[in-house]
Amino acid sequence: MAQFRLPANSRIRKGTIHRAPAGARKVRTFRIYRFDPTSGENPRVDTFELDLAGCGPMVLDALIQIKGTLDSSLTFRRSCREGICGSCAMNIDGINRLACTTAMEDLGGGDVRIYPLPHMPVIKDLVPDLTNFYAQYASVKPWLVAETPPPPDRERLQSKPEQEKIDRPAACILCACCSTACPSYWWNSDRFLGPAALLAAYRWIIDSRDEATGERLDALEDPFRLYRCHTIMNCTDVCPKDLNPAKAIAEIKRMLVERQS
Amino acid sequence: MYRYTLLTSITNRATGIVLSAGLILLVYWLVAIASGASAYHHARAVLSLGVLKAIYVILLATFSYHLFAGVRHLIWDTGAGLERAQSKRSAAFVVIASLLLFVGLAWWALHAGGHAP
Repeated sequence: MAQFRLPANSRIRKGTIHRAPAGARKVRTFRIYRFDPTSGENPRVDTFELDLAGCGPMVLDALIQIKGTLDSSLTFRRSCREGICGSCAMNIDGINRLACTTAMEDLGGGDVRIYPLPHMPVIKDLVPDLTNFYAQYASVKPWLVAETPPPPDRERLQSKPEQEKIDRPAACILCACCSTACPSYWWNSDRFLGPAALLAAYRWIIDSRDEATGERLDALEDPFRLYRCHTIMNCTDVCPKDLNPAKAIAEIKRMLVERQS
Repeated sequence: MYRYTLLTSITNRATGIVLSAGLILLVYWLVAIASGASAYHHARAVLSLGVLKAIYVILLATFSYHLFAGVRHLIWDTGAGLERAQSKRSAAFVVIASLLLFVGLAWWALHAGGHAP
């Protein structure tokens, strides 16, 4: 039976409100998902009125400011603050994106609503449990597989067009924005690999130096691992690096059909 | 904030389900034809009911959308049209084209055609 409501212990309560100090001039309201598994309490949405004077322009700047001045228990991942580590992926105003590359100015005028990446187990506040996501990435063997030894005096060379094929797919930062935006992944993440892992698989399938193309395609020829993709296009639409998992998946499907004939 | 991707995708599924249900009417009509003149005349009377005409309008709308959205998926399956901007454009095309087709079909069925089957 389909489940239409969240489990009783996951339903979101009203949280506390942190008012802006008197005299604050540039106030923006943030509604942020809070969850602490050790408290035994349900998740809640806290409201923070933040004075943006002296705060940087990005959503991550605001989160750091909130943690520093309003509530030090607010928990989130962040590292590079320039869109290359993928740590601060979260759901901001309904869209999965990186807090560090999302300017508050681009979010329109209303309250900023911040939730963890959708449909993942939550460790605390905005920190999702990505264990399964990483295991799926590892399952596509994201490394070069070759029987032939490399030339003794140099690297395995590629032509420029060969390199260009993997240029964009290899730029994935594994932030999980795409996979956690995908309804097929929400509902079948135990068996469907999801756009991020499939993009990685594609990146090695088309690598001119890789010699395990057949085995890689064999591993994906499965009604769930690959074919739960129904081309909804959320993955490509949200990717903060402007990559195209949907196209990669379509290409893998095409290669599977082509090798049959 | 709504994503056009979610709307186009779920609408394609919903229209597919409605169309499958609508097939019951088509099958009923075909069985009636195969069962002889009296059965057909009876079916014709049933299928001309006003309530069913409202359902035909709904079916025409779902057919129009599902047709164009299905062709969009066929093109995607060749590996073409999957860039973000292309997908946005084709989504707009599907919505507009299906609306036009629906209006055309509905006008033809209710005015020019004039009669239920």
